[in-house]
Amino acid sequence: MTPLLKVHGLEVEIEGLPILRGVDMEVRQGEILGVVGETGAGKSMTARSILDLLPSAATVSFRVCTFGGRDFIPAKERQQARGHRIGFVPQRPRGSLNPVFRVGTQLSDTLRRLRGMGRREAKGEALDLLRSVRITDPKRVYRSYPHELSGGMCQRVCIAIALAGEPELIIADEPTTGLDVTIQAEMLKLLGDVIIEHNAAGMLITHDLGVVADVCDRVAVMYAGRVVNLGSTDEIYRAALHPYANQLVSIATSLDSGGTPREIPGRVPNPGDELAACAFAPRCFRAETDCFEQEPPLVDINGQQAFCHHAITTEALPL
Amino acid sequence: MNSATDTLALQNLTKIFKIKTGAFRHADLKAVDEVNISIAPGRTLAVVGESGSGKTTLARLILRLIEPTGGTVLLENTDITALQGTALEARRGRMQIVFQDPYDSLSPWQTVGRTVAEPLILHQNLSMQQASEPVARMLERVGLSPEHAKRYPHELSGGQAQRVGIARSMITNPALVVLDEPTSSLDMSVQSQILLLLQSLQEEMNISYLFISHDLTVVRYIAHDLAVMYLGKVVESGPASQVFASPRHPYTEALLKAAPRPDPSYKTDHVYLVGEQPTALDRAAGCPLYGRCPIAEDVCADTPQQLVEIEARHRVACWKRT
Repeated sequence: MTPLLKVHGLEVEIEGLPILRGVDMEVRQGEILGVVGETGAGKSMTARSILDLLPSAATVSFRVCTFGGRDFIPAKERQQARGHRIGFVPQRPRGSLNPVFRVGTQLSDTLRRLRGMGRREAKGEALDLLRSVRITDPKRVYRSYPHELSGGMCQRVCIAIALAGEPELIIADEPTTGLDVTIQAEMLKLLGDVIIEHNAAGMLITHDLGVVADVCDRVAVMYAGRVVNLGSTDEIYRAALHPYANQLVSIATSLDSGGTPREIPGRVPNPGDELAACAFAPRCFRAETDCFEQEPPLVDINGQQAFCHHAITTEALPL
Repeated sequence: MNSATDTLALQNLTKIFKIKTGAFRHADLKAVDEVNISIAPGRTLAVVGESGSGKTTLARLILRLIEPTGGTVLLENTDITALQGTALEARRGRMQIVFQDPYDSLSPWQTVGRTVAEPLILHQNLSMQQASEPVARMLERVGLSPEHAKRYPHELSGGQAQRVGIARSMITNPALVVLDEPTSSLDMSVQSQILLLLQSLQEEMNISYLFISHDLTVVRYIAHDLAVMYLGKVVESGPASQVFASPRHPYTEALLKAAPRPDPSYKTDHVYLVGEQPTALDRAAGCPLYGRCPIAEDVCADTPQQLVEIEARHRVACWKRT
């Protein structure tokens, strides 16, 4: 099956600093792909490249980029898809709604622009969309200003706006950061449900491995501007091939089970830092000289892929 | 329940904010409502709750950054709510805080050395020169090098900046450190480094921690005791292991069920509570959770339940579960 979105060799540079250094990933039809990594790994930059929402100082290049069979390399293609074929759920819901317009106006304006609806038709559809994100009193919310709504409610509205163009893919960038735990759980459920109901696929950017385990079918683990490990959620959590992904999971699970947290020594490199051939090598417990000198090869075991000279291919954890 | 050896004991601590609701009208917002908790030396009490639960107000009351409406705060058996002027200043070195955002809580104009020395200069009347040696020692203790004393906050990573915040809070050898979400803005690999550091400092210096967090994973690891707050009230408290193993209050249960866990086979319970948290202004007269609680009955609406001990030190305020 051809993937819905395929990205290969995505590179982004901002003022000479490499931000993304060859990102490879694909989103399949009907799945939710989790993109995880720490601050500065390039998660949001990857999403913004696909949506052509990068700052003007950035230069972007893809080796391959296709969406639903279309060549997505020309920026114009990506601009046209934004909102229509790809919906976007932002990180700070209240901050990304316009504070001086009613929520309903913002939603129906989006519908009129994206789907060419008339005023009355747009209002009806807007109310339907608010209902589809489980808002029980859509008329009140329609008339409200963003400051009159709670954070969870604003995020529902943002999800409704992302659905307005009947997208095939919904990209959500840390959609639950800053929301309370009980609201976060509701929001993740909602996001998962609407993606299925609208026959779309999802890309969920997060740093929270609990969130990924909860809703994602597959995971891409990013480090220093690259996807280092890609596989099904079950496989990555059971036996990630890449030492970084493996340790990230074991930190999360050790904390979760009440054990002593494991640590990864050192810190994430900043853009512009001099990197070894494998950027993780200086922090890696399996690193040898080849990791510093030669590009890590692609390892593919049972559909799980990793870029690593010394991938963890045995079941036993070496920690 | 309080013993004379406790580092910190709160007795009916209450803070009511007057909220303007009209030209001549005010409403009372009970941000912290008759809270009784205590922490023994070398122990960690985690205060857990969502936004609006009053955990930050509680921290500010304990440090006496704001004045309580009622109740007392006993720090090493001294009621600090009654202290004024120099007597209060003399106690301040015994209680310190580490903030959530490591960068925001460091002055961008001051070197790391100056920042860490500040409490010594302020509370122990040392000169910058006299402070430099303990500062260097403290920086090494938190995993930085004495060289870092010359740096400015913008030259540090998030983890390093938080280490500076910790060094500043520990340098006066305090009895109590309030940790206000100290790891929530850090990346996971760094988060565990900071948790390990906090734990070893506690063992070494016998400090008591009041650990404020909404992250149950972190709390599970670091806390000895737990107090769950909802709209200003402690609804459940007890030994952390016991509360995690058998939560009794429906709100505690909801928090535990809603927290996503890094295990694909674990099924998160997404909607256990009904609706959204109201503000402390529109809270029911009885149980604060009334209206969202799946097991509530009529009695919950207007009769508040007190904390009742159900097992050793495990207390819960719920009509249905006591």
